[in-house]
Amino acid sequence: MIKLEGVSKFYSPTAPVLRDINLTIAPGEFVSVVGQSGAGKTTLVKLLIAEERPTKGQIAIGDWDITGIASSIIPYLRRQIGVIFQDFKLLPKKTVAENVAFALEVAGERSGRINQVVPQVLNIVGLNGKAGRYPSQLSGGEQQRVVIARSLVHRPKVIIADEPTGNLDSINTGEIIEILKKINEFGTTILLVTHNREVVNHLRRRVITLANGEIINDDAEGKYVL
Amino acid sequence: MYSFFRIIRFALQDIGRNLGLSTMTVFILLLMLLSINTLWSMDVMTKEAVRLVKEQINISFYLTPAISDKSVSEIKSYLATFPEITQVDLLTRDQVLQSFKTRHQFSAEVLDALSELGGNPFGPTLVVKTKEPGDYRKIIQAVSVPEYDPLIEGKSFEGHEEALDRIQTITNRIERVGLGLSLLFALISFLIIFNTIRVAIFTQRAEISIKRLVGANNWFIRGPYLLESLIFTVVSVALTILIMYFATRYLDRYVSVVFPNGFSLTNYYSSHMLYLFGIQTVAVLLLTVFSSSLAMRRQLKV
Repeated sequence: MIKLEGVSKFYSPTAPVLRDINLTIAPGEFVSVVGQSGAGKTTLVKLLIAEERPTKGQIAIGDWDITGIASSIIPYLRRQIGVIFQDFKLLPKKTVAENVAFALEVAGERSGRINQVVPQVLNIVGLNGKAGRYPSQLSGGEQQRVVIARSLVHRPKVIIADEPTGNLDSINTGEIIEILKKINEFGTTILLVTHNREVVNHLRRRVITLANGEIINDDAEGKYVL
Repeated sequence: MYSFFRIIRFALQDIGRNLGLSTMTVFILLLMLLSINTLWSMDVMTKEAVRLVKEQINISFYLTPAISDKSVSEIKSYLATFPEITQVDLLTRDQVLQSFKTRHQFSAEVLDALSELGGNPFGPTLVVKTKEPGDYRKIIQAVSVPEYDPLIEGKSFEGHEEALDRIQTITNRIERVGLGLSLLFALISFLIIFNTIRVAIFTQRAEISIKRLVGANNWFIRGPYLLESLIFTVVSVALTILIMYFATRYLDRYVSVVFPNGFSLTNYYSSHMLYLFGIQTVAVLLLTVFSSSLAMRRQLKV
């Protein structure tokens, strides 16, 4: 499903952020990517959503080689992947429902279908009664649920979560992880980037450890080892 | 088609939900348009004043009393061939005499002297008007040929040459200053509008990046902003027309005192409305679209 072959990323010739990454993630897997700050986790996410291009190597999502993807095609790639950000990245002047609907609107989905799907997805993340609120009127945990709803709404085969619990307390963290686990049970591949030890150890799923831009550990049922 | 209606909806939503920013943008566009129109009105009035002054200027060719009607017609036809000349009027000997008597009706000595001479001592006069005061010298030279010289007793230009030159210099200078001021003001307006739109887009840079990360293509993001630019332009031009209408109506009572020929700003704006506000709409629209596209370019690279 996701395949990286010999991927390196240099922002300057002497400072590699990622070095010779070889990685394959099968459909339906729940993979955690861990590592200290500066290990290259966020760069890996940026490469997968084509926010950055690799300096070397090849990246494929499904049968789609996105290594040298054209700018005009990037929106189509992003409509296939759900992305959850640590800082939520919600549109502040749109309501909860509008934020979720936006992901479908950009893809040209019919209004009738949008009106049907958005309440369903908000129900899954437990925000049914807050569809008309603006992001600033929600707690951090609720905002992250909106982000999950937005990433889910177009039924992506892959969800990439970049430190989704970084700004949340332990209760909200637990709830968000439970939602992600449920989504994974329905067959969606989850790539969770985190440095939350408890979360990783609790999951007992595949763990890829990055250090200084290299994969130093890849355990099928791993733990946070740093 | 869905996208098109969504772009319209997003644009209207953006305007409504960023009402402060939208109002400020329209207000600045309005101020700039009003300033441009004020300068334009001043330019129009200056040109009208210059035209009036130029209209007052003419030169007279005083012909000899013994000249034949045939020669008079010949000189008149010759003058009419010059493209610089807008009007040639002939005052007959009787008309010149009558005009002299009217001018000196309260001066008994002058009238007595005229009676002493007996008959009509005046020749006919040709009064010539040209497009520009600078053209008079050329006409004088053209008429100063051996064929016509003996038939012309005098030219009024001889005494006014310096004054005419000065008027020409002043009007040229006024026109040049007007053009310079207009260009300067256009540049200032361009920079202010350009920066206003850039600031408006800059405050929404995070939103633009988010839309791009969620999978919106460039046109889906640009569309609402371009439509907003169009709406801001139309609203500000409409408000400018409204304000200018009332302002010119108010000012016309003072303008009519300065221009006795019936010149009116309201009439000027009414007859040039499509041209004036059409140009302003297109210019402001191009400027806002250009500014917003430029400001968005960076955010769209995400």
